[in-house]
Amino acid sequence: MPSDTILALRQIAKSFFGAEVLHGIDLEVVRGEVLGLVGENGAGKSTLMNILGGVWLRDRGTMELNGRPFEPANPKDAQAAGIAFIHQELSLFSNLTVAENIFIDELPTGPFWSVQYASMRSRAQEYIDTFGVQTTPGTKIASVPMGVRQTVEVTKALIKKAQIIIFDEPTTSLSQKEKENLFRIIDHLHREGGITVIYISHILEDVFSLCERIAVLRDGALVGVEQTARLTKPQVIKMMVGRDLEQIYPHGEKKIGDVVYQARGIAQGKAVQGVSMELRSGEVVGLFGLMGAGRTELVRCLFGVDKMDAGEVIFHGRKMKSISPKSCIRNGIAFVTEDRRQEGLLMSKPVKDNLVTVILDRLTQLLGMVSRSKESQESEKAIRELNIKVYDKNRQEVKSLSGGNQQKVVIGKWIMRNPSMFILDEPTRGVDVGAKHEIYVIINDMARHGATVLFVSSEMEELMGVCDRIMVIHRGKIVANFTKGEYDQERIMGFALGGEGS
Amino acid sequence: METTMTRSGSFGWIRGFALNNSILLLLVVMFAASALFVPNFLSPFNMKNLLLQSVDIMIISVGVTFVLLNGGIDFSCVAVLALGSVFGAYIMAKSPIAHTPYAIPAGILAMVSIGLLVGAVNGFSVVILKMPSFIATLATMMVGSGVAVWFTSIVSDKASIIGIPERFFALGGTRGHTLVPIIIALALVLLAHWLLSATLFGRRVFAIGTNPKASFISGMPVKRTVFLLLLVSGLCAGVQSVIATARNQAGIPSLGDRVFIDIVAAIIIGGTSVFGGSGGVIKTVYGVLFISLLNNDVNMLGIEWYVISLIKGLLVLIAAFIDVFSKRVDLIRR
Repeated sequence: MPSDTILALRQIAKSFFGAEVLHGIDLEVVRGEVLGLVGENGAGKSTLMNILGGVWLRDRGTMELNGRPFEPANPKDAQAAGIAFIHQELSLFSNLTVAENIFIDELPTGPFWSVQYASMRSRAQEYIDTFGVQTTPGTKIASVPMGVRQTVEVTKALIKKAQIIIFDEPTTSLSQKEKENLFRIIDHLHREGGITVIYISHILEDVFSLCERIAVLRDGALVGVEQTARLTKPQVIKMMVGRDLEQIYPHGEKKIGDVVYQARGIAQGKAVQGVSMELRSGEVVGLFGLMGAGRTELVRCLFGVDKMDAGEVIFHGRKMKSISPKSCIRNGIAFVTEDRRQEGLLMSKPVKDNLVTVILDRLTQLLGMVSRSKESQESEKAIRELNIKVYDKNRQEVKSLSGGNQQKVVIGKWIMRNPSMFILDEPTRGVDVGAKHEIYVIINDMARHGATVLFVSSEMEELMGVCDRIMVIHRGKIVANFTKGEYDQERIMGFALGGEGS
Repeated sequence: METTMTRSGSFGWIRGFALNNSILLLLVVMFAASALFVPNFLSPFNMKNLLLQSVDIMIISVGVTFVLLNGGIDFSCVAVLALGSVFGAYIMAKSPIAHTPYAIPAGILAMVSIGLLVGAVNGFSVVILKMPSFIATLATMMVGSGVAVWFTSIVSDKASIIGIPERFFALGGTRGHTLVPIIIALALVLLAHWLLSATLFGRRVFAIGTNPKASFISGMPVKRTVFLLLLVSGLCAGVQSVIATARNQAGIPSLGDRVFIDIVAAIIIGGTSVFGGSGGVIKTVYGVLFISLLNNDVNMLGIEWYVISLIKGLLVLIAAFIDVFSKRVDLIRR
């Protein structure tokens, strides 16, 4: 291996629950370079980096660090070998000080295990000066802004003598000034420290200005690695999304009616910044955005799972006075959450119990007793109509079902209520191809019967196949609206990445 | 009643049955062993004793089960025993209406109301103030116990309040009224079981105990249900306090000092999960019977107190282990 290659990945492959998410990745990282890693959500960037960082074990393939085999069994191994992973969610302790956090893994000790606070403080001060950060070693992390926290993470990595620092979406919560500061730090690491940086981001301008080479992942495969100087942004976007649209989407005659759902000025913190939309009956509307764009925050506000700071919802001509799951359900709105395991299902309970969760009150008769026969009937019906593969609905726990079937149980429990509006957040995540198709058919059927569907997804292809129109959300605002005839992958992605497609 | 199924496979159903009903098996085995090895175990006198002893914690344990089904705990139940006992005894023995026809009904009403009151306070702390039930009920327990002792010191010159009209003691099963507390306990147990297994409320309890977030998103009234659970626990403790006072024939502020361990042990050994979401009244009933059996054997055989503590502790550990094991929580994804 050439001496300037610090890290060599060969044929790295990984599967989760039988679905392969990384198909044999070959990548060589040059010592001291700043390498950009880009790709859509689900392309495999995080999986690959997690394998590098020792969080997950690869199924196949080898890794070599500095010419020697590298097989981290856990994050600590990877850290010891010199790989530092700075995640999007920083791992700092908010009740400890800057200095304590920097040295958290290597607290300098003196006699009788006493911590050498003075030496810690002065060394921390050195780094603070070098990086030009506005803080002191004794300030508690809780009172320090995001930009400083990130610098603390970087410093932590340096203390541990990291050779490779991986940044995962570092700028989503940073102000412009903090971003510039981060870039200065990365530049410093690169020039003075000879540190290799892998920079993962959706913000292509940043990737272009920081990185010497860019690697593009798509659907679990490495589409290309090229010198930044030889690439243009449109080229990179094309590499990220370009593929053939497979004909796995249902077609069918469908009438789109009047506007039934209006949301106005929905806002929540920094995540949702004034979103308005109008949805019609029979319409399947897609909401496309990348991670951090505010999609999930938006729909959670719409259903009342999280409180919105401002905004109103008008459904079937009446303004909704209080927005909560209960009031939404009563009005005929359903919500399939993004995370079915934590929020959509009662994992340890049988399929039947899960299916009737939302209609329990309708199955209740006198004295508050639930009718077991109706319970059985209704759940049987759902199992049949949605083709849920389960052998004993009364006893088989939902956690033993496949992802696709689990998702069908979630959808099933909502369908039982006959809602006139469905909000679906990533309904085909972690679902195999066959079940995905079935879910698209279900969505299409719902719309044909007059329901309104808001389909949130980070998979552009499925949105293009199923939706009548697609809204694009970026940093909490709806930035574009495409109707069926005008779908253009690159333009949609361009808006999602920010800016007018380039 | 709750059933869970473990992996399928040739002996899956046996494993499933064993795990679900291990307490029943244990109970039967224990009973048989006692009949064989403990002298006079099967005598009518001992059987009566056994039943009455189990009634001593039956109702309160069933009440606390409701709270455990939500993944919480209710320390204050024993304080309700004490508080209810002294207030009730005061009303029936020393208050202005003592020894009137109103005394006993008023006393009973007071005791049950105290249970409801404490339950409501707990409910408020947990639901509105969002305190963990551990802290909230610990606080009510400490305050409650303190108040009980202080109140007793004011109204009586002894360590307990005596002088309750004798008719009241019938509720405790004295002199030929043995069946009374047993019937009361049975009725309440059946009511509680029906509530949990057949009603909408019961379904909600299990769903919310399994996953409160998912239940909330599915439209369930989580706050209201949790509040009611604490209320039920308090109420059951209040009813138990009536029976306990009748059994002891006095208002005793130290009532319940030692039974908390037995209550929790009965619930956990019975099979209700501390994580919430699974378990039930019947399981607790078996657990209570088992603990009573254990206590009974200890008395009859003259075994030292610490031995039984050891055994109970070990059984709780085993039960908890089975609980975790059967849920097979995957913490690390590889």
